[in-house]
Amino acid sequence: MKNILLVCAAGMSTSMLVNKMEKAAGAKEEEIKIAATSGGDIKKYIKDADVLLLGPQVSYLKDDYAKQYGGSDGIPVEVINSIDYGTMNGEKVLDWALDLIK
Amino acid sequence: MALSGFQQKLQSVAGKISSNRYLKAISDGLMSALPALIIGAFSTLLSGMQFEAYQNFITSTGIKEILELPAQYTTNMIAVYAVFFIAYRFAGSFDKDGAPAGLIALMSFFVLTPTGLLGENDAIALPFQFLGAQGLFVAIIVGLISSRLYVFIVDKGFTIKMPDGVPPTVAKTFTGLVPGILIVVLFTIVSFLFRMTEFVSMHQFVYSFIQTPMQNLGGGFWSLIAMTLVIHTLWLLGIHGMLVILPIYLSIWMPLGVENLDAIAAGQELPNIVNTAFAQVFMLLGGSGATLGLAIIMAFMAKSKRYKTLGRISLPGTIFGINEPLIFGLPIVLNPYLAIPFVVAPLVAVIIPYFLMASGIIGKLAGAHLPLGTPAFFNAILQGGVVILIVQVLMIIVTGLIYYPFFRVIDKQALKEEEAA
Repeated sequence: MKNILLVCAAGMSTSMLVNKMEKAAGAKEEEIKIAATSGGDIKKYIKDADVLLLGPQVSYLKDDYAKQYGGSDGIPVEVINSIDYGTMNGEKVLDWALDLIK
Repeated sequence: MALSGFQQKLQSVAGKISSNRYLKAISDGLMSALPALIIGAFSTLLSGMQFEAYQNFITSTGIKEILELPAQYTTNMIAVYAVFFIAYRFAGSFDKDGAPAGLIALMSFFVLTPTGLLGENDAIALPFQFLGAQGLFVAIIVGLISSRLYVFIVDKGFTIKMPDGVPPTVAKTFTGLVPGILIVVLFTIVSFLFRMTEFVSMHQFVYSFIQTPMQNLGGGFWSLIAMTLVIHTLWLLGIHGMLVILPIYLSIWMPLGVENLDAIAAGQELPNIVNTAFAQVFMLLGGSGATLGLAIIMAFMAKSKRYKTLGRISLPGTIFGINEPLIFGLPIVLNPYLAIPFVVAPLVAVIIPYFLMASGIIGKLAGAHLPLGTPAFFNAILQGGVVILIVQVLMIIVTGLIYYPFFRVIDKQALKEEEAA
C-alpha cells in the first residue's frame, strides 16, 4: 500500500484535490491512501507517509519540511505544480506522486 | 530574473516567519481555542437577535439566561483556553508533552489574575474581567514564557526521575512537577511585584500599556489597509499571505470582535468596525482577493472554454471562501494582468463598508469569528442581518466590475488561442 500526504494552509483546498486524486486512484490496481492535512497537524500523519506533497501556496515551507522529513533516509518532499493544483488535475498529480515514490 | 530573486528572498522570509515557534504557537494555540469562541458567538447571536417579539419571548420565559450561559464560559473566558493551548502547542513544537506545559501556564495565568470578594459572606471570587478578551495578551505572554521555561527546565534535566518499573504514566506526572513549582513560584513573585505598583496586577498593566495601544493601532483604518495590502501582495508572489500574518491577525483582530460580542450581550453600542468578522465578510469575500465576483463572471460570462470551465470548477469553493483553484489555475500568482484587480478589489471591498460603518449609515458587525469555510451570504446575515447581506452583494458586484476589464483581456487571448487550435 502507498500513502500520499498533502499539506496546505488549512487542509481545505488540498482536500478538494485529494477527492479528485482518490477517484483517479480507484482505477489503479494497487491500494493507495491519500490524506490532506494542515501544517500544524503534519506530525500525526507523517509516520505512515511515503511522499509529502505541498500545495503551491505553502511552497516556502519546503526547505523546512525537506530538512525534517526528507534527506537520504526520509521521504520525497515536493511542491505540487501550481497549474495542476489550480485546475485540480487529480490524475496527473497522482501519477506524478507515484513516480516520486519509486 | 530580478523578480524571481526578490520572490525567493520573500519566500524565505515568509518561511521563517511562519515556522517561527513563538508566532506559530500563538496562531496554533488561538486556533485550538476557536471552537470555544465559535460556540460562544452563536450563544451571543441567538440571545442578542434584535426582534422585539423574540426578545420579549425569550426574556419573559427565562430562555435568554440559558442562551447567554455558553457565552459566559466560552467567549468571556477565552484567555483561559488560549493560555493553555498556546503553551501546549509551544511545548509540542519542541516534541515535549504539551499537557504539563499547558497546566503550568494555566496556573501561572491564574496566579497573575486579581481576585475579588463577592456577596455578603465575602466569598473569594475570580472576576471575569481579565479572563476574556481583556486578558488575551497576558495569556499570550504567559503561555509563551512559561512554556519556554518548561522546555528549558526539562531539557536541562531538572525533573524528578522515577526508578525503572514505575509505570510511564505515573512517571509522566512527575516530569511536570519540578518545572511547575519553579515556574509558578516565579509568576507568584511577578504577581506580588505588580501588586506593589499602582497597576495592582500584571493584567491591568499589560491591558493599559500593550493591549489597548496595539488594538487602537491595529483596529484603525490604516491597519486595515496595510493588512489587506500585505496579504494580497504576498499572494501575488505565490505565498499564502493570510497564513504568514495569522499570528498578528488573530491576536489583534480577534479580541476586537470579542469586544463587539460582549457589547451585544451587555446591550451596548458596538465598539469596533475592524475585526476578524469584518475580514471574513468583506476582505475575504470569496477567498483572498475577494474573488467571488470574478468567479461568477468566469462561470457565466467567459467566452473561452478554458476560463469558463475553471470558473465552474471554482465557483462552489469560492462561495465557501476557498479559491486556490482560481489563484493557481488562472493563475493569479505572478500574472501581470490580474495583479491590479487582485489587490484593488479587496481594498475597495473593505474601504466602502468601513466608511458606511464609520459614518453610521450601516451598523457594525457582531464580531463573531466564524469557522473557516462559512459561506458568503450566510456569514453576512449572521454578522449583521439583511443590511449587511445587501452590502455584501453590492461588494460582489463592485469587485466583479473591478475584475471584469482585466479578465476580458485574458479571456479574449484564450479564445483566440482556442480558435487557432
